[in-house]
Amino acid sequence: MNRDDRWDDEVRDAYRGAIEGEEQARERALMRLRREPTPRRGSTSAWWRDPDALRIRPWAAAASLLAVLAIGAWGGAWWMASRGGHAGRPAIATLPSDATAVTFVFEAPGASRVSLVGDFNGWDPKATPLAHASTGDAWTVRVALERGLHAYAFVIDGRDWAPDPSAPLAPVATFGRRNSLVVVGEDAAL
Amino acid sequence: MRRLLAVALFVLVLAPGRASGDEAEEARLRVRLKPELAASVIEVVRSTAAQGLPTAPLVGRALEGASRQADDAAILDAVERYAAGLVGARRALGATARAAELDAGAGALMAGVPEDSLTSLKRARPSGSLVIPLIVLSDFVARGVPVGSASNTVLSATRAGAADPALLRMRERIHDRILRGEAPAGASREELRALLLKTHPSNERGGREPSEERRP
Repeated sequence: MNRDDRWDDEVRDAYRGAIEGEEQARERALMRLRREPTPRRGSTSAWWRDPDALRIRPWAAAASLLAVLAIGAWGGAWWMASRGGHAGRPAIATLPSDATAVTFVFEAPGASRVSLVGDFNGWDPKATPLAHASTGDAWTVRVALERGLHAYAFVIDGRDWAPDPSAPLAPVATFGRRNSLVVVGEDAAL
Repeated sequence: MRRLLAVALFVLVLAPGRASGDEAEEARLRVRLKPELAASVIEVVRSTAAQGLPTAPLVGRALEGASRQADDAAILDAVERYAAGLVGARRALGATARAAELDAGAGALMAGVPEDSLTSLKRARPSGSLVIPLIVLSDFVARGVPVGSASNTVLSATRAGAADPALLRMRERIHDRILRGEAPAGASREELRALLLKTHPSNERGGREPSEERRP
C-alpha cells in the first residue's frame, strides 16, 4: 500500500466514524420537530395556506370563472326583475364607474317641493327630490349620470312639469311640453 | 385555444349583461304600464333592439308618458315615432353612429330636420361626435328658428371647424337674443356671422355666411 492509498483509507475511516456530539445533536433536532404543530392536511382550517392546494389547471380556472360570471349575471337579472325594475332610486345607486355627477339647479318661487324626472330615474317624480337652498328660490340636486344623452324636466309641487330654462330643449314636445337635454361624456358636457 | 377561451369569456360576460338590461327594461315597462300597452311597447322595443338600435330612449318615452298620465294611444304613438326616428337617424348618420348620436338624430328628424341635413353634418365632422351639433340644432328648432335656418346655421358652423364649446356659446347667445325679443331666424343668422368671423376673420370683408351650394 503506497502513501496515497493510506491517505484515502484514513479519510474514509474518518467519515465513517462517529462524530463527537452527533448523537446529542440528532436528539435535539428530533425534540424540536416534535414540539412543532403537526400540519393537518385534511383540516379545512389550513387548506388555503397551502400553496399546493390552490394549484389548478388554467382551463379549470377559466371554466370556474365563466360559471361564476354566468351565475352572477343570471342572479342579477333575476334580482332586477323581482324588484319590478323600479327605476328611481337604484338608477343612481347602481351606476357604473364611468358615471358623472351633475348638479341640477332650478328656480321655483313659491314652490313647496320640486323633483327631477328624466330618463335616468324612470321619470318617477318621487325618485329624485331637490333640496331647497337656505336662501332664495333655488332648488338643487346632485345626480350621477351615465355617459350619453338624457332628457329631463322638473316637477313642481307634484303636478307642474317645467323644462330647465338654462339647458337645450328637446326638439319635440312629445306629451305636450318639451323636456330639457343634458349630455354627459361628450367633448363638452352641457 | 386561448383565443377561443377569450371569445367564450367575452360572450359570456356581455351576453347576460345585455339580457339583464333588456329584462330590466321590460320589467320596468310592465310595472308602469297597463299590460296591453306594455306588451305593445315591448314589441317595439324588441324590434328596435333586433336592428341594433338603442332602446333606452323608447323606454324613456313610454315611462315619461306614464308619469305624465298620457293616454295609451299617445304613449304607443310616441314610442313608435321615436323608433322610426332612430331608424332614420342611423340611415342618415351611418352604421357607426353611437347611441347618443342616434338618440339626438332621431329627435332632430322628428322635429322636421331632413335626413340630408344630418348626412351633411356627418360629412362636415366625419370623425368627431355629432351629439352637441345635433342637440344645438334641435334646440334652435325648439326655440322657433325655422328648420332650414337652424340646419344651415349648425352646418355652416361645423364646416367652419367650430368646436362643441363654440357651438354651445352660440346657442346661448341666440337664446338670449330670442329672449330679448329678436326674431329667431335673424338671431341665428347674426350669431352665425359672428362665429364665422371669429373662426375665419377673412370672412369679415364679405360678411356673408357660406351657402350650401358652395360647399362640397
